[in-house]
Amino acid sequence: MTAEAAAPFVRPPVAGEDAAHPSRRRWLTYLAIAGPGLIAANAGNDAGGVITYASAGAQFGYRTLFFMVLVTVALVVVQEMCARLGAFTGKGLAALIREEFSIRLASFAVFFLVVANVGLVVSEFAGIGAALELLGVSKYISVPIAAVGIWALVMFGSYRYAERLFLVLSLVFLAYPVAAILARPKWSQVAADAAVPHFVGSRAFILLGVALIGTTITPYMQLYVAAAVADKGIGPEEYRYERVDTVGGAIMGNVISCFIIVATGAALGRFGLPLGSAHDAARALEPVAGTASVDLFGLGLLGASMLAGAVVPLSTAYAVSEALGVERSVSRSFAEAPLFLSLFSAQIVLGAMVALLPGNLVSLLINTQTLNGLITPVILVFILVLANRRRLLGEAANGPVFRVVATVSVAAVAGMAGTLILQTIGGWVGIG
Amino acid sequence: MPSRSRFIANPARPLRTARRHRQTRLLAVRSVRDSLISLAGLVGSPAVNQAGDPVGRVADVVARWDGQEAYPAVTGLVLRIGGRRSFTNMDQVASVTRSGVTLASARLDLLEFERREGEVLLARDVLDHQLVDVDGKQVVRPADLYLAPTPGPGAPVLRLVGVDVSAQTLLRRLGPKRWRGVPTPERVIDWAAIRPFGSEVRNVPLRASHEDLRRLRPGELADLLEDLGRDARQELLASLAPEQAADALEEMDPDELEALLRETPPEEAAALVARMEPDEAVDALRDLEDEARAELLEHMQPDQAEELSDLLEYEEDRAGGFMTTRLVTATPEDSVRSIRRQLRKEKEHAGDVDGIVVVDPDGRLLGDVPLYELAIATNDSTFGELMPEGECVSVPADAGITEVAERLVDTRHTSVVVVDEDNRPVGRILADDLLDALLPERGRHHFPRFLS
Repeated sequence: MTAEAAAPFVRPPVAGEDAAHPSRRRWLTYLAIAGPGLIAANAGNDAGGVITYASAGAQFGYRTLFFMVLVTVALVVVQEMCARLGAFTGKGLAALIREEFSIRLASFAVFFLVVANVGLVVSEFAGIGAALELLGVSKYISVPIAAVGIWALVMFGSYRYAERLFLVLSLVFLAYPVAAILARPKWSQVAADAAVPHFVGSRAFILLGVALIGTTITPYMQLYVAAAVADKGIGPEEYRYERVDTVGGAIMGNVISCFIIVATGAALGRFGLPLGSAHDAARALEPVAGTASVDLFGLGLLGASMLAGAVVPLSTAYAVSEALGVERSVSRSFAEAPLFLSLFSAQIVLGAMVALLPGNLVSLLINTQTLNGLITPVILVFILVLANRRRLLGEAANGPVFRVVATVSVAAVAGMAGTLILQTIGGWVGIG
Repeated sequence: MPSRSRFIANPARPLRTARRHRQTRLLAVRSVRDSLISLAGLVGSPAVNQAGDPVGRVADVVARWDGQEAYPAVTGLVLRIGGRRSFTNMDQVASVTRSGVTLASARLDLLEFERREGEVLLARDVLDHQLVDVDGKQVVRPADLYLAPTPGPGAPVLRLVGVDVSAQTLLRRLGPKRWRGVPTPERVIDWAAIRPFGSEVRNVPLRASHEDLRRLRPGELADLLEDLGRDARQELLASLAPEQAADALEEMDPDELEALLRETPPEEAAALVARMEPDEAVDALRDLEDEARAELLEHMQPDQAEELSDLLEYEEDRAGGFMTTRLVTATPEDSVRSIRRQLRKEKEHAGDVDGIVVVDPDGRLLGDVPLYELAIATNDSTFGELMPEGECVSVPADAGITEVAERLVDTRHTSVVVVDEDNRPVGRILADDLLDALLPERGRHHFPRFLS
């Protein structure tokens, strides 16, 4: 702060700087470090994400990779629309939905957002339970302690420091690309599976496909991107740079996801069985960590789950407060924010309680992602309508080509979820 | 609540009196309650002609909201007739009730709706959008708007009289159609207290609002700025006097202030920061990225930019980082009269002036005369006479918080002078600055918004 602040008002020209856009460099630097798009997309690789991708690799080898390429396209399209809505309106998604749709449609959307996010909170607590089981602690001990811990951290303000610790822990998952390479997969097979269109018609594949959509194109991420872009004061002038961040972040996040699939596919794909436990998922890290892979995976899972376990209920509480028009309550004292606090606390209690029900934590993790995958298309329709609306975005509204691409993406996601629902209902009545 | 029974939504009442009746919990008077028409209920209800035959449905209500009247008059309706939206002037409307609209003439002029100066579409632009309530000092999102017929010069005029912000009303709107039209005025805000800060009603002249806004304290304005959406808060900021805006910014949460400065054009942001107290301005600049900070400093007067960049050199937790640079200095020869004259000019900084710093011709610190000594001194005495005996207690600019606290106790006063390495006074630390530095959160609980 000393040297450059000494004489900043006679700023020397920076070499290579675009003279017409003196602020360009600062935006690029800023977004490269802390861009909302980058953070959101990488938040997709949370406990639910890692387990779902690992399960995809274990059950289908590399055969979900082409599907992941399609999902990436859809994710890029969706995240871009959300970032654009945030930048051009300066408002969050929930506020826009309340303002632009009838109250019935808005409450419909908010209801599903809440359900999806509560599902995510459940999965984060399941992740905490699974992580600590790997480290030898029963979930009946770890989950209640974690719930109280997260609640207290957020309420009593030392959350920011804890957040950094969790973030560092969750970086463990960056070991997956290394593990994927060290596992020496058949790259020709990987490339073929990623490039050649193919689907497995089975119910298991569709079920997993919906879970992959749900964990990659999570409603929570859409809320986050729009709100974070608006919150950080990124406006129309800076949007060009924000778009780089959003698109780049989405692609990068999904490249890591694909490496998780490849690493697990190389380690377990030959058995073709669904992921049975977090222990199995950890085995994919053996090429990097050897015998320490289980502990390492457990720490990563714990960090990612604790991080999201606090952030997801917070963002739900914000979105609902915003939609109800009690923004005022969000950054004020306890007594002034009863709605916000009860929403936040209720999600933690509910999430921890569901995670404590007897049953397999890995199945619970994947099932919550499937739930998200069924809800995603509902939210996507709202986003699509908003981003098409010229009255709202003016020149920045979806153009004709983009409109087609976005509509096809949303329809494909909806089609996948629809198929799963039809199959399930068919199974009940004995057709499937 | 005695004012209840006297509340009548009468726009003819002088604004000052009306204001006293604002925030009436419920328009408890039966007659008023009965005459209220819920906008949410009206939209979608049938429009019939004189014979009672259905013509179409109400799609929206147009009101003139130009700041001239406390209660905007309804100027027309947007009707949906056979899949087409058309505008109907109020003179073609015979009556508006909760159950629907009766049109005056059989023949209808189907006009395309064109927004005239100062007009807003109540359902599309106002309902469910952010508004500022200057009495409650909060940002609200109307769950319903209430219209009421009020005595006009000729026939009664339908006017917008209140905003409903209760959650129950939202639930009512979710319910079946016949519930929707029944007003449930549980928490109604008098429309006269509402200010339009939002992109949709941008063209409303803010004639009446300045006076109201001036009554708000900086902290209350800061809360409003934090709660509003981007366009709305820029509008609110633009409608404040520069001094008031700068005071409000000083009270804002650092993260929110950072975003606000980033979204404001650099020239305006620089002007605002320049008007903030130097120590607050430095805090704000410290939070920005290097390039953004340089950009703001570039847009300031050179002397101001220099002063702020000098201050930026001090570490945040050192004496120089949290002192105020507002100093009133005198030489030992100066008379009390001349300094009193100077103090009168510094009135707006009264909170930062705790004493008069006495310096030698080289600008080195000689002593610190507390305001009490000045108050009891005669006009003709000089500062040389007033100076307390013994060496003046001061702290170096790079002193830590503990050292500052110890020195402050040594002075036996409420502030201590900060000096540079040449013993020249550069600022002053008041007891409250020290408290600020020791208690950064000051009782306000800020939830971590998202990952940051």
